[in-house]
Amino acid sequence: MEQSIDIRELNERIKTESSFVDLLTIEMNKVIVGQKHLVEGLLIGLLSDGHILLEGVPGLAKTLAINTLATIVDADFSRIQFTPDLLPADLLGTMIYSQKKEEFVIKKGPIFTNFVLADEINRAPAKVQSALLEAMQERQVTIGETTYKLQEPFLVMATQNPIEQEGTYPLPEAQVDRFMLKIVIDYPEKEEEQMIIRHNLAQSFPKASSILKPEDIIKARKVVKDVYMDEKIEKYIVDIVFATRFPEKYNLDKYKEMISYGCSPRASISLSMAAKAYAFIKRRGYVIPEDVRAVCHDVLRHRIGLSYEAEANNVTSIEVINDILNTVEVP
Amino acid sequence: MNIKFLYKNSKTGIIVLAMLLLCLFPFTTTNAQNINASATLDSTTILIGGQIDLKLEVSLPNGTMVNFPTFNDTITSNIEIVEKGGIDSLKLDNNRIVLSQIFRITSFDSGLHYIPPIKFEILDGELKKVADTDPLSLMVVNPFKEVDPQKGMFDIKGVQDTPFKLSEILNYIYLFGGIILVIALAIWGFIYFRNRKKGEGSIFIKAKPDEPPHVIALRELDKIKSAKLWENNKVKEFYTSVSNTLRFYIENRYHLPAMEQTSHEILKDIKKNTDIDKPILEQLTQVLELSDLVKFAKFEPLPDEHALSLMNAYFFVDKTKENIIKSLEEEKEALMEKAKDSNN
Repeated sequence: MEQSIDIRELNERIKTESSFVDLLTIEMNKVIVGQKHLVEGLLIGLLSDGHILLEGVPGLAKTLAINTLATIVDADFSRIQFTPDLLPADLLGTMIYSQKKEEFVIKKGPIFTNFVLADEINRAPAKVQSALLEAMQERQVTIGETTYKLQEPFLVMATQNPIEQEGTYPLPEAQVDRFMLKIVIDYPEKEEEQMIIRHNLAQSFPKASSILKPEDIIKARKVVKDVYMDEKIEKYIVDIVFATRFPEKYNLDKYKEMISYGCSPRASISLSMAAKAYAFIKRRGYVIPEDVRAVCHDVLRHRIGLSYEAEANNVTSIEVINDILNTVEVP
Repeated sequence: MNIKFLYKNSKTGIIVLAMLLLCLFPFTTTNAQNINASATLDSTTILIGGQIDLKLEVSLPNGTMVNFPTFNDTITSNIEIVEKGGIDSLKLDNNRIVLSQIFRITSFDSGLHYIPPIKFEILDGELKKVADTDPLSLMVVNPFKEVDPQKGMFDIKGVQDTPFKLSEILNYIYLFGGIILVIALAIWGFIYFRNRKKGEGSIFIKAKPDEPPHVIALRELDKIKSAKLWENNKVKEFYTSVSNTLRFYIENRYHLPAMEQTSHEILKDIKKNTDIDKPILEQLTQVLELSDLVKFAKFEPLPDEHALSLMNAYFFVDKTKENIIKSLEEEKEALMEKAKDSNN
């Protein structure tokens, strides 16, 4: 009975604490036309302290989305264009000699901010990618002999262009795994595109207002962690992740030769965190299987390694995830 | 020494020397003529890629050393060696020996090919002599049409027509037919004797019809009811069993993958694919939603809600069950079984 009261209390608390989600969504929708999935993904990443890898052709409001989010949260934002000649020091910062002080002083790089947009991350060489991904993981940067903590909240949204793969440095699997979500965005709908034209022709770009402080996000993250996840849901998540590793045990023998490696334990953690954040966005104090299924594609799509056989048969990771979701029994 | 003496001393010496020289000349000529080298071909004409034998033969006095010509893969640039035979020897009565070697040759170039004289090295004491064979010629004929790429590609031969002839399989039909018949008889015999042992008598057994989904679901709900789960504080287990029974029923009744769907998806699919009345759907919604709350949110409903959920589950199954029209025979069987049960 006591536990039952806790859940009711938690539900009430979450309903109160998550009230900003609606406001934030309204503000985002004022500026971003369509791209609901992108906005939802940004919110999940923000609330579950995970980073986002975004794949989409140029001009789909990726920069605008994260810029707007930074404005709404009243946080710092920087955009780094990744190029082949970028150096880790350009990103993290370096020590420069000050003639006035006659000593080396620290010059912090653009990573010292709340929201980072790493544009076209696959255009920079591996050492720059590693520097960013290390900072993402450790949440600290060492310049010279001093280690600096990064600001909180710290959210990296890296973009990749699915076309023009020439001269790029594709992210290694181990590094892609560090992104909590990989969101694939598509072109807007006809009506949405019409609306975009109108906004642009009228030069009347709506502006988002600051309604939150970074501290509110940190507080909300703590509440998200408290969202109740039943053992049945945990088992469901484990089953989904295990089905990517041993498909033959889940009557998915056809994928045995097509999956070269399944999802890591980091996928299970990310899936449960993202499901909790999704439940929070839906203003619920507990996770239901719908939450897991809603975030499953974005969490797992970049973590399943497909074999040459799968590529030859045009099998995508999304098809594999769909089949897993349609095969694994829902609790 | 004798020659020198004769040359110095008299004219007769000159005559003797001349005589000696005259005697020596016929001897060397004979010696050279005694070694005969020859090369012969089986035929002077072959088709392109065809094979013939080239026989090299040398006849010489017994004890004379001879070196056979050595070829690697080709005789000439156009004539290739397919197979190289060993050197064969044949002793003749007149203190002579005949050595021979056979080469299997071929050519893939059409035209007239010239085989130059083949040389044998003869070692006569310290002297080295050479015996040549006669030159040969080999005509290689191309039977195929000349391919002119300008005229386009065409088959060397047309597609061969091989019409089906019954006589071809008639030879085997009795054999294979017999084997199949024996196997079929063996299988029939095995099944017949096995069933006879079991006392079934017939190899054709009437398959029992699958139980209708509602029968299974109602039986499961009865089990849940009699297990008194919620009365024994097993509320979560109670709702899990009730919702799973309903999901299993929906899966078999409407052929929807309900076991792999969430409650929301099940309700959405049922609304879309069936014409169930709204009040019945509301009853299903009540059970599934309450089950989700109990299963995933530690929710503890009131005892009345447990009873209501079970009642709604029964109601949903009963109202949506499939009407099965039984045949007369099935009706008769059912009545007989009922009568048997009542007698017992």
